[in-house]
Amino acid sequence: MKFDSVIMGGGLAGMVAGISLQQEGKSTAVISTGQSCLHFFSGSFESLAEPSPRVAELFSQAGIRLHYQKGVRLMPLGSFQESALALEDIDIFPTPQFSRRTLIVNFMGYHDFFSSFLAEGLEKQGIQCRIRFINLPELEPTEMARGEMRPVQIARTMDRIWEKAVQEIRLLLKDEDTVILPQVFGLQDISVPSRIRQALPARVVFAGTMPPSIPGIRTQMLLKKRYQLLGGTFLMGDEAVRAHIHDGVVHSIVTKNLDSHYLEGDSFILATGGLFSKGLKSNPFQIFEPVMGLDVEYAEDRNTWYNPSFAEKQPYMDYGVKTDENLHPFLEGRSVTNLYAIGSLLGNTRPELGSGAGLAINSAFAAVDEILRSAQHDKED
Amino acid sequence: MNPNEFDVIIIGGGITGAGTQRDCAMRGLRTLLIERSDIATGATGRNHGLLHSGARYAVNDPESAEECIRENMILRTIAAHCIDETEGLFITLPEDDLAYQQNFVESCRKAGIGAEIIDPDLARRLEPSVNPELIGAVKVPDGSVDPFRLCAANMLDAKLHGGQVRLHTEVTGFIREGDTIKGVHTRNRQTGEEADFYAPVTVNACGIWGQHMAELAGVRIGMFPAKGALLIFAHRVNNMVINRCRKPSNADILVPGDTVCVIGTTSTRIPFEECDHVAVTPDEVDLLITEGAKLAPSLSSTRILRAYAGVRPLVSADDDPSGRNISRGIVCLDHESRDGLKGFVTITGGKLMTYRLMAEIATDTVCRKLGVDKPCTTATTPLPGSEERSYEAVAQKIWEAPSTAQKAAASRMGTRASRIRTGDRRDDALICECEEVSVGEINAAIERMDVSTLTDLRRRTRVGMGTCQGEFCACRAAGLLAKAHGCVERERKDLADFLQERWKGNFPIGWGDTLREAEYTQWVYKHVLGL
Amino acid sequence: MKLQEYTTSKHNFEECMKCTVCTAYCPVLQVNPLYPGPKQAGPDGERLRLKDPYFFNYALKYCLNCKRCEVACPSGVKVADLIQGARIKYDHRPPKLRDQILASTDFMGSLARPFAPIVNGVTGLGITKTVLDATLKIDHRRTFPKYSGRSFEGWLKRRTKEQAAFPEQVAYFHGCYVNYNYPQLGKDLVKVLNALGIGVQLLEKEKCCGIAMITNGMSAQATKHAKHNVGVLAKAVEKGLKIVTTSSTCTLTMRDEYPNLLGVDNSAVRDSLLMATRLIYEKLEKGAVLKFRADYHKKIAYHTPCHLEKLGWGVFSERLLKMIPGVEFTLLDSNCCGISGTYGFKKENYEASQNIGAPLFEQIRAVNPDVVACDCETCKWQIEMSTGYPVMNPISILAEALE
Repeated sequence: MKFDSVIMGGGLAGMVAGISLQQEGKSTAVISTGQSCLHFFSGSFESLAEPSPRVAELFSQAGIRLHYQKGVRLMPLGSFQESALALEDIDIFPTPQFSRRTLIVNFMGYHDFFSSFLAEGLEKQGIQCRIRFINLPELEPTEMARGEMRPVQIARTMDRIWEKAVQEIRLLLKDEDTVILPQVFGLQDISVPSRIRQALPARVVFAGTMPPSIPGIRTQMLLKKRYQLLGGTFLMGDEAVRAHIHDGVVHSIVTKNLDSHYLEGDSFILATGGLFSKGLKSNPFQIFEPVMGLDVEYAEDRNTWYNPSFAEKQPYMDYGVKTDENLHPFLEGRSVTNLYAIGSLLGNTRPELGSGAGLAINSAFAAVDEILRSAQHDKED
Repeated sequence: MNPNEFDVIIIGGGITGAGTQRDCAMRGLRTLLIERSDIATGATGRNHGLLHSGARYAVNDPESAEECIRENMILRTIAAHCIDETEGLFITLPEDDLAYQQNFVESCRKAGIGAEIIDPDLARRLEPSVNPELIGAVKVPDGSVDPFRLCAANMLDAKLHGGQVRLHTEVTGFIREGDTIKGVHTRNRQTGEEADFYAPVTVNACGIWGQHMAELAGVRIGMFPAKGALLIFAHRVNNMVINRCRKPSNADILVPGDTVCVIGTTSTRIPFEECDHVAVTPDEVDLLITEGAKLAPSLSSTRILRAYAGVRPLVSADDDPSGRNISRGIVCLDHESRDGLKGFVTITGGKLMTYRLMAEIATDTVCRKLGVDKPCTTATTPLPGSEERSYEAVAQKIWEAPSTAQKAAASRMGTRASRIRTGDRRDDALICECEEVSVGEINAAIERMDVSTLTDLRRRTRVGMGTCQGEFCACRAAGLLAKAHGCVERERKDLADFLQERWKGNFPIGWGDTLREAEYTQWVYKHVLGL
Repeated sequence: MKLQEYTTSKHNFEECMKCTVCTAYCPVLQVNPLYPGPKQAGPDGERLRLKDPYFFNYALKYCLNCKRCEVACPSGVKVADLIQGARIKYDHRPPKLRDQILASTDFMGSLARPFAPIVNGVTGLGITKTVLDATLKIDHRRTFPKYSGRSFEGWLKRRTKEQAAFPEQVAYFHGCYVNYNYPQLGKDLVKVLNALGIGVQLLEKEKCCGIAMITNGMSAQATKHAKHNVGVLAKAVEKGLKIVTTSSTCTLTMRDEYPNLLGVDNSAVRDSLLMATRLIYEKLEKGAVLKFRADYHKKIAYHTPCHLEKLGWGVFSERLLKMIPGVEFTLLDSNCCGISGTYGFKKENYEASQNIGAPLFEQIRAVNPDVVACDCETCKWQIEMSTGYPVMNPISILAEALE
């Protein structure tokens, strides 16, 4: 199969690249090894410090509303972290003192939402908190599956019965100006969070739960839908296993499922993620890039990969594929001219592009621009 | 009666201290056990968890071997829920001298250990993970023992016999009158609260820290800190203990235990200052993997979960730099006859396997001093939880159709599993998915087993011992602990400490899936949850 | 050898990061609280089962084997293989009579075919359904697949000479469904391949792929079938033939379940075994041409069967359908229809089965197509029964659109 661009990796970086290229009339395929890290997305786009119309437009066309405001967001364990750009249902406050009295509502028997930690954290900010639990018979089957009182299962039920939950919360609400709810609303029905906000006579703040993240899954789903609507070919559950590279040019890649049916392209984007996503792999002897064996920046002595303190920044998190100024990775010291490395695969080798979600988006745009530019260049030639 | 007065104070919450407290309490003494940290934090919880048949010592140390096999048979009957009767193999590899086997088997027989030479083919069938190149195999009655469970059960039984336990409490000094120890000054390390306790006899059961404790009391014991490093693999590769049939050496025992298996150990002399924070070095890791893969080749590609090290409390007898030729015999010192210090006894040396015997010897000494004449019954009385031999029977008796978590609870708690609140879906909800630990089991541990931190909880329930290393369950369990203790702030710190403690065991083997998991955990706690 | 260079155990369950993504995509977990879910049943449970087989949980039988957990897993863990593997290894209870009957698709087919009109009449009767429900626990609300009076094998045998005349040849693993229930699909395939200049041969003597036996606790019989089929396929491969199929489940079973679950080595034939859609797509890509009718107009909603999604080959069906002029194409969301072979036929699974399929049925009704396209026969029964929309294999649609 032949495409203009073949994108390896269906996470945030890969999807942004795929959607952008499809919008420019390019034909692309995205290969995604299972569901992506967006399933663990906090909802806040790290390191995107400036409002970007390009980002906002891409997401809004996919049906994902973002908002921009410099401030702090409430973390699930009751602390605050700086944030600027976030999904609409993630609140950003100018200061941590966003309320005087807050009602924290949790479901009976739900252990993945840390209401007591939230309350303790907020009380440190001078916010009075009351924790209440609601008991909905509709959640009984979920609870009965003992290990499955988890965000996705609850969110599925809430898509159906959120109005009932709202009724219960109304009864609990006294003089509080704010209600904090777990982020288990709006998995399939994306209108639910804003409808809950309208339905309650207090400010509603959705606080995160243990992953998987409902806003993250929703984001992934909508990006994929948008990509497919633009005609993109999404190969779910497949995996690039190796590439045919000659003279510094990738000709095609081999995937686990399509084996002898190679995917050809003019350009290729590697967005396979960091160590967790197996974009990089490690053994006691090295950290390597498994699809093409690209050059990786890392320390040879494995004892220097770690900081013995869990709380400190870990050196291994900086490691990534080496790239030139146009994000072309190197293979045995030579840059591969129609290949681009983007997202977490870069580690912290390109700090100017940011980190986390910011890195994913910035590097994806940079690669897309470069692909379009060089395609234009070829045409002119 | 002064509530701070006892018949005997035992310092040290390892298996020796817990066993001694149980024995003393069963002989009617009023006991107090003081431990500066949690149960089984020293050598007790930092070994293979091997239920020695004694075979390993048969050639070089027949006395230890005989002790081992006797205690082995006793533990099978009194500590059933702590023991997995796996049996063991001593294998001869092509590079080993097969002639050693004959000598080995004869020594075993002399010590009373049922050692049976079996065909290598049979060995391969009995234990499919064994190195298929083996040229000889001997079957012995080895097994595995869960030291945390054993220690907790002993302590629990002491409490059921009226004993008191103070964990996270440090002995800061002795109350001494002339040539007699009358009691101890203590300080709770969590609350800072100070208290004095009195007893006519104090037992020093502090393992390698016993030397320091003795110094505090004004007497000297020469101990020999020998570090042993081990690796835990993420699943149970073998179902029988696998040993090398040769002179004991590094990394030649692979022990299956619960859902994992453990390879070890090494032996290195370390300075006393290091005892409190022993670290596993890369060289030790490499050695353990290389030697381990000779016992079971699949270890070379099995995910490693953790690396850890313990310090053996050997009492120095000579200046052997490896510490391996030292007798692992039991040392019970009555400091009255040895040093002229009354009311002070040290019990040390020995090993996990012979803890009961050590406790019996120590308790005999204590009773003699107190003029109490009661026989020891610990060899015949099952520990609480061990009234049934098999956990299948336990689970079936308590629940008609036990769930996986209930089966797991029965395998961890034995008959005490009947105390878990269950039947309600809220109590049955899972906290730890890797090891199948329910809300009910965790609450039972918090209520009855002196749990103050997540790490304490882990030792009693296996929460966080699975492949995710507490990534998901730690946070959930922290919620339960915060509720039980009514303090979120303390729990927040506890959670951070727990993750640090897990990471300590992960980074020495931080590659492959372990590193992936670590990256994920870092991401979740820092960027998603905001710890 | 470098120790620890790779850390992948058998069935790679240690690669599980406990991220719980599989549980988010398991269709059974959404409807059946008795099912422990793919993570518990798979990688978590495996560690406990290795400790003691006592930890085997009989609720693993609720697994559909749809493989959605494997497709979703970011770590590449073979979750469904772990679950089905555990069932094979630890569940030694003899299968119920009902399950044996449901599983023996080719045996039942060869018995029923000569009496097709009677059998079809009888299984369609309310009284028969009630009796089957009461005695065998086959749900009375199910519509039974009809049996065809004449087998596909017989039809193609009569055309051996004619087919041999084509310059290029392939062998066709038609499976039980085409042979006994719906020979038309086989005929459609022959039509399309002939149009590409390819003749179709039968395999020497194929047997049921065995998937229903695997999921119904009859792995010993399944293994016999697997060994037989691999032998038969190997003979075709030796002749230089590719083998095509029209059923995604048969294909997945023979390519992946044989080695992974039954331990039957298929390495000699695996790469030659293809869905017909892939072969046709590849031919067209290399320049072959199919001539389509100018007046063909159809609104098609394409449902990717779970097992095709696992194979990763839905893209070929999708592209072929889009190639037909006059086709208005909608790709349905990735969802399970709920039938999963014999699973939905069992009384105890009927409710779950229909609930699992509900989102798919809803979307089909919303799209309101002329026809639903799908490469799986059991999805076809389920969707037709549950929505009333006709379901066609993409091959049949191609055949219908040909000039």
